[in-house]
Amino acid sequence: MAQRPTKETKQSSAREERPPVVREKAPALAPQRGRPTLILVGADKGGVGKTTIARVLLDYLAANNVLTRAFDTETPRGTLYRFHPDQTSVVDLTSTSDQMKIIDTLATAQVRVSVVDVRAGGLEPALQALQDTGFLDAVAEGEVGFILFHVLGSSIASLDEIAEVAPYVDDADYFLVKNHVNDTTFFEWDPVTHRKYFEKVETAGEITIPKLNELSYEQVEIAGAPFSTFVANRTAEGGPADHSFVLRGYVRTWQNRIADEFDRIRLLDRIAGREGA
Amino acid sequence: MSRRTLVFVACSPHPRSGVSTTARLLTDFYLSRLADVEGFDTDPHAPRYHELFPDRTQVIDIAAIRGQISLFDRLLVDDGVPKIVDVWQRSYDRFFKTVKEIGFVEEAHLRGVEPIVLFHVDPSETALASAQSLSASWRDLPMVVVQNEGAAPLGAYAHETLGHYPSTRRFVIGPLDGAVAKTLEQPDVSLSRLLVAPPPEMSIVIRAALKAWIAPIFTQFHSFELRRRLEGAQFLK
Repeated sequence: MAQRPTKETKQSSAREERPPVVREKAPALAPQRGRPTLILVGADKGGVGKTTIARVLLDYLAANNVLTRAFDTETPRGTLYRFHPDQTSVVDLTSTSDQMKIIDTLATAQVRVSVVDVRAGGLEPALQALQDTGFLDAVAEGEVGFILFHVLGSSIASLDEIAEVAPYVDDADYFLVKNHVNDTTFFEWDPVTHRKYFEKVETAGEITIPKLNELSYEQVEIAGAPFSTFVANRTAEGGPADHSFVLRGYVRTWQNRIADEFDRIRLLDRIAGREGA
Repeated sequence: MSRRTLVFVACSPHPRSGVSTTARLLTDFYLSRLADVEGFDTDPHAPRYHELFPDRTQVIDIAAIRGQISLFDRLLVDDGVPKIVDVWQRSYDRFFKTVKEIGFVEEAHLRGVEPIVLFHVDPSETALASAQSLSASWRDLPMVVVQNEGAAPLGAYAHETLGHYPSTRRFVIGPLDGAVAKTLEQPDVSLSRLLVAPPPEMSIVIRAALKAWIAPIFTQFHSFELRRRLEGAQFLK
């Protein structure tokens, strides 16, 4: 049985040099109108498909009538923003004003779900910022929901991130995302290595993102539209498009498989804060 | 009367069951009536069907996404032109996997296109299982069982074998004498032209044998077409 890291374990780990965090009660975020939820999609390694996952996630939530706002931390020009400009703001997570823009408005914004696409190398600093601002304490108090999709690459360095992230996610729904977009394997062929990384951390589960063929992926890139807009044969501006039915079919099937994964982990229940999720 | 664009998918999971022959006969059937028709040959290595109708068919590599686009995007055009796909046995799995993955059948019905599977039977259990699998996957996909008595004879238990197939509609392609069949292998022999103006250099015996072979086949195709029109006739409902 995998052991959740204890506070002692955490302090004796790689982050020993960090001063111990004094957990004061976090300031209440705001009067509750249904618990707000922050969904972080990130990885320290680049090129593992973080923004793709964030895009699919936004499509999934929209398809399920969940109003969502998104933040793209790839400043100054974000990729997520390019595909979802109407609901995305580009922010710099290291800037206090942008942190306020996200966290202070979580409970007051009309939109209760916020998705943050963390740029490469930005995951640990983002988690640190969430801790420093007291956000993680608010999560512990149950005032706000926190879901982390940690997108993994196939390198040992990527897997090492799991241990680095684990101390921050005691109270979060922490999901490891195996993205097969690039035919990646995750050391399933090497049981010792696989066990070493995947069985020693307590997560809410794993998500597998299947591969989408290159041509379909490229065409959506060229279209510069959300996946769902491409499938609906519309341009980014909402006009009629002339995309190949074959490619749209592949994208739709791929989206459906990912939606099955989100359904499997009961993502909507988690966002709604429903018991048992 | 609602007219739909027909897409015939001639297929078999096994070689030498007469798939290309059916594709050829059906193409010639439309050409003999001066109707437009379009074909697709999914054997990129030896595209026999394409060689017979180079101007009306194209070779498709179904394993490549671009090939799939050339095929399925065209099949979905509701332009009234019947389309015939010769599914090479090695393309069989990939073809139907793609059909499933992209939701081709459902989209075709939405667009007024009617795919019809021409499943070529043989005595094997695996052929029967493949037909049953197709039928189970797409309940609303019409299937016609094609019995090519020359290429894949069913033997004495033909009736019993056919009884297990998930379709009662059937085309029977009769056997051909060896010498006559050899004539058919020549790419310049056009069955549709043969009916109207047989080449003078062709033996009278072979000409007669071919006509006798073709006539009942074309009658079945015609009968099938008329039945589909009747089924689509709104005033009869």
